[in-house]
Amino acid sequence: MADKFKVLQPWLTLLSRLILGVVLLVAGGLKIGNLPKSAMAVRSYEMLPIPLANFLGYTLPWIEIGLGLLLIVGVTVKISGALGALTMLAFIIAIAQAWARGLSIDCGCFGGGGAIDPEDTKYLSEIIRDIGLMALGIFLYFYPKGRFALEK
Amino acid sequence: MAMNSGSDKGTRNLVIGMVAFIVAVGIIFSFISNRANSNYAIPATVSEADGYGIVLNPTATPTIDIWVDYQCPACRTFEVLNGGYINEVIAQKKAKVVFHPLTFIGAESIIAANAAACAADENKFVDMNLALFQNQPNNENSGQWQAEAMLALGESVGIKSETFKQCVRDGNYVKWTRNVTDASANKNVNSTPTIRINGKDLDRNTEYGDPVKFKAALAAAGVK
Repeated sequence: MADKFKVLQPWLTLLSRLILGVVLLVAGGLKIGNLPKSAMAVRSYEMLPIPLANFLGYTLPWIEIGLGLLLIVGVTVKISGALGALTMLAFIIAIAQAWARGLSIDCGCFGGGGAIDPEDTKYLSEIIRDIGLMALGIFLYFYPKGRFALEK
Repeated sequence: MAMNSGSDKGTRNLVIGMVAFIVAVGIIFSFISNRANSNYAIPATVSEADGYGIVLNPTATPTIDIWVDYQCPACRTFEVLNGGYINEVIAQKKAKVVFHPLTFIGAESIIAANAAACAADENKFVDMNLALFQNQPNNENSGQWQAEAMLALGESVGIKSETFKQCVRDGNYVKWTRNVTDASANKNVNSTPTIRINGKDLDRNTEYGDPVKFKAALAAAGVK
């Protein structure tokens, strides 16, 4: 069993890198065309002071793109994986608090965002997805060395 | 890491540098390309103090703020249900009404907002606002809303002036829409439509979609 994991682990690391990396890259890429909307999405969580939320709305998509690129190419995987996991944790907390407080918002994870009809919210599936992505990031923190990474 | 050769390290640092560069340039460019600027041309009826909105009946009370995107279907629905009453309130000077055209849906929202602002300079904002919603294309950024379409709508509400045509064609107030967006961000407007009376949100889930409740909410705020 342990041997099997030893063989599989580099491939699992590659797979985790690609999934988390592509998701981050796409999520960031879909937002940069409409950053005022991204800022709106962050504001609508009603967690942060407005100027900070607006700032985050403009910067976070680029950070997602940066982390995504690093993970896909396979450089600084340990740190990028950890940062990716922390980002997901922040999203999970944000979505959970919105849910708990009864806000009706789109998570704005892949563009979009803002207030929506209560029946259109899908907090549970968003949280489950982000938990899965966070798990990939944690795995990369503990097993950063995998196949086809630029950094050996 | 022991196997790391010198060139490997070089490549690694180069990639890190490149990614950092992309992120840094992207962030800087994002802030620059979306920044508001009080030097941008604004319609005569727009005031910075009112969040760069188009102001009707500036001295009346209370104040009704309306944030819309001309391409947003929910805004169209709102206009169909409550626009008639709002226009009545404007015509009878029962309130100060401030329209903030937002442009989150994209290029054609900007074209429409610009045309609405050009119409405001012709004292035809209310009619143009209505005409835009009545002629909202079924799909976003479908290519239907270009300058010519705006001129035709302008003509349909009786705007004949050359200034208007020039204003629409040249996109005089395109940059003004950034100011509107920026001001709305600072006022925590997170959806279109958003309607506030004296700065207080109406209930999106009950008062937007029901003309009776909408009217009652306005009456409660002093629209008589």
